[in-house]
Amino acid sequence: MQTANANRLTPYLFLAPAALIMAVALLYPIGYMIYASFLDWNPSQRIGDAEFVGLKNYIGLLSDAAFRESFFVTLKFAAVVVTLEMVLGVGLALLLDRNIRGMSMLRTLFILPMMIAPIVVGLMWRYMYHPSVGIFNRTLKSLGFEPIPWLSDGSWAFASVVIADVWQWTPFIFILSLAALQSLPQSAMEAARIDGATGWQQIVYIKLPLMMPVLIVTLLLRLIDAFKVLEVILVLTNGGPGLSTEILSLRISRTASEFRELGEAAAMSNYLLILLVILTFAMFAYNKAVEARAARLRKAAEEDL
Amino acid sequence: MLSLKTILTGTAVSATLASAVFAAGHGGPYEPYAGTTLVINVPAHPHYNAMMKVLPTFTEETGIEVEVDQLQYLKMRERQTLELTKSEGDYDMIAYVVFSKADYVYADQLENLAKYFMNPALADPNYDQGDLISGYVQNIGVAGGQKGYLPGQLGSAFGIPFGSETSVLAYRKDIFEKHGIAVPETYDQLLDAACKIPEVEPGMGGMASRAASGHQASHAFLLHLAPLGGRVFDDSWEPIINNEAGVAAANALKTIVDCGPEGSQTFGPAEAAAAFQQGQAAMFMDSIAFAAGFEDPSKSTVAGNVGYALHPEGVRRGSQTGGFGIAIPKNAQNKEAAFLLMQWLTSKKGDLMVAMAGGNPSRFSTYENAELNEKYPYSATFGEALKYADPDWRPIIPTWGKINADIGTTMSQVLTEDLDPQEALNGVAERARAIMDEAGYYTWQ
Repeated sequence: MQTANANRLTPYLFLAPAALIMAVALLYPIGYMIYASFLDWNPSQRIGDAEFVGLKNYIGLLSDAAFRESFFVTLKFAAVVVTLEMVLGVGLALLLDRNIRGMSMLRTLFILPMMIAPIVVGLMWRYMYHPSVGIFNRTLKSLGFEPIPWLSDGSWAFASVVIADVWQWTPFIFILSLAALQSLPQSAMEAARIDGATGWQQIVYIKLPLMMPVLIVTLLLRLIDAFKVLEVILVLTNGGPGLSTEILSLRISRTASEFRELGEAAAMSNYLLILLVILTFAMFAYNKAVEARAARLRKAAEEDL
Repeated sequence: MLSLKTILTGTAVSATLASAVFAAGHGGPYEPYAGTTLVINVPAHPHYNAMMKVLPTFTEETGIEVEVDQLQYLKMRERQTLELTKSEGDYDMIAYVVFSKADYVYADQLENLAKYFMNPALADPNYDQGDLISGYVQNIGVAGGQKGYLPGQLGSAFGIPFGSETSVLAYRKDIFEKHGIAVPETYDQLLDAACKIPEVEPGMGGMASRAASGHQASHAFLLHLAPLGGRVFDDSWEPIINNEAGVAAANALKTIVDCGPEGSQTFGPAEAAAAFQQGQAAMFMDSIAFAAGFEDPSKSTVAGNVGYALHPEGVRRGSQTGGFGIAIPKNAQNKEAAFLLMQWLTSKKGDLMVAMAGGNPSRFSTYENAELNEKYPYSATFGEALKYADPDWRPIIPTWGKINADIGTTMSQVLTEDLDPQEALNGVAERARAIMDEAGYYTWQ
């Protein structure tokens, strides 16, 4: 009896360290943040002295125009950069999926931007966007065009941070798509070629559908990252001019340090977290639906035989 | 560098002699603390760079070692906020940004200095408090007077100004002379000159000003608000930032930025100063702390061509008061030794040494010092500017951080998105009132 019990407990015993680490490293901070979001907490106070205010922070944020604006900027930013990066990244991968000499060199070159620290990326682009000594405006001026107010006009500033982000993160999508492409089953491609599929048809009907699971995960990873980007924008525009590039993570950081409202900052983080969780679930649900449909079709096809 | 060293050693020798004589007789005020290591937190700022050059003399004279943690000033504020809530702090002395006074004093995190000045073993009888520049002391050091942050009978000191600043107008003497433009004494003249310069001197902006979204734009706006007769709040804490004077200040800032050097809309203080230093603008109106940089030929292309004038007059004179003070945190480990350092740095001798090394004086006597005036000819103008320094040019209250950021983002919208100034300021006033209401400022109405 004793041995049976011990045997049954063994798996839990082995799981215990992992569960403990999860609890300490993951659940505790998140729990702390959720708790903090119900407090009116000034950074000069200890958390114990902060006043419990219930849902006040959450409700207050909903009617805060600046928060709504920055929520909207975040959505816009994430949608624009991820779309651009997916198109460019997958396109590049399709173009470069062949045996070129020095391919491994090229690939390393392509992913360089990703390896640079974000603060440095921000500084680099900031100098390039500089109104009088930056390379862009100097080139424009020497070609006889009007200089562009890269960072000092609301819509240009938004475009500028999008360009910098696309520059930095397209390689990420490129490298993952390329890996997906190169692991596609050769038999399917060969069959398509024998059936006389053109290059476009191969891409649209064979390659892209087969790459889909990888693309979805890539998209998701990029999307989550795009919602949280901070450093590049912090250095480039610090959210300005006005609120035109003040994405949520920047607003959270300002709320905590400048406005000194830790509770409100925590509530904002939770809104962001909820948004990301919904997105992730939606994406997986969609993926699952697609797979289920494919399985159904396959089953139907097998039954027809 | 050479001249600096000679001055330093000169002062040091006499100081060491004096303290050695004193030490022989009594053991000296510093003796119980010799060997202590103080950890201090200061901003990366010209004044504190000057202080660093002087600290070795302090160690030599007192035997107290000083370890310095230097941070960009907004980062420094963040660090301190966390540091001050600990039960045992790492810092024995901190330099704080003036608007931190409200937060720290309100949260009861700074030592009241009374008990140190009452302690005969610590207080130097020759310290001469009356010589400290009173505007700075009230603005930076004293809390608990009128409205909590202004001079008042019931206020008391929690810090001593060190690295405090006021605003002056720096201008290019050569450019003004070349085009026969008079040095602006009023705001009308200032704005005229600011927009005339790009016309007569193509490629050069009128005035370089801070304008970046957030704190910088707010600072720039407030700089014009006080001389143009405005205030953020009236005496009963009602926002009046959107009155006529407020709109005039917003328009003044917009004119200055529109006629300023390229890219002005995103300038922080460093960029604005750099634009002036590189000859891209003919005027620069900001803190006196930048002057030393303009006169340094290794960094500045305009050294020797810069004139300094008082902050122009609107309906009244009112230059900014700002900069830093030094204080002892409640959770410090070596409070007495920290007080000795504080007192030493702001003593007549210490203040002069720091000023000679490029810092901003905290004492009237330092501004009158002949040696200093010879080395930095603009000192006299700065001393004059201090008479008009306005301690109430911005409110120093715990809710200020949020209101300040709101003014700054809204001003940035006025500058870059052509938002109507009146409409913009009405919005600021409305939001400020809600913030003040929540914080309990209307409880007595």
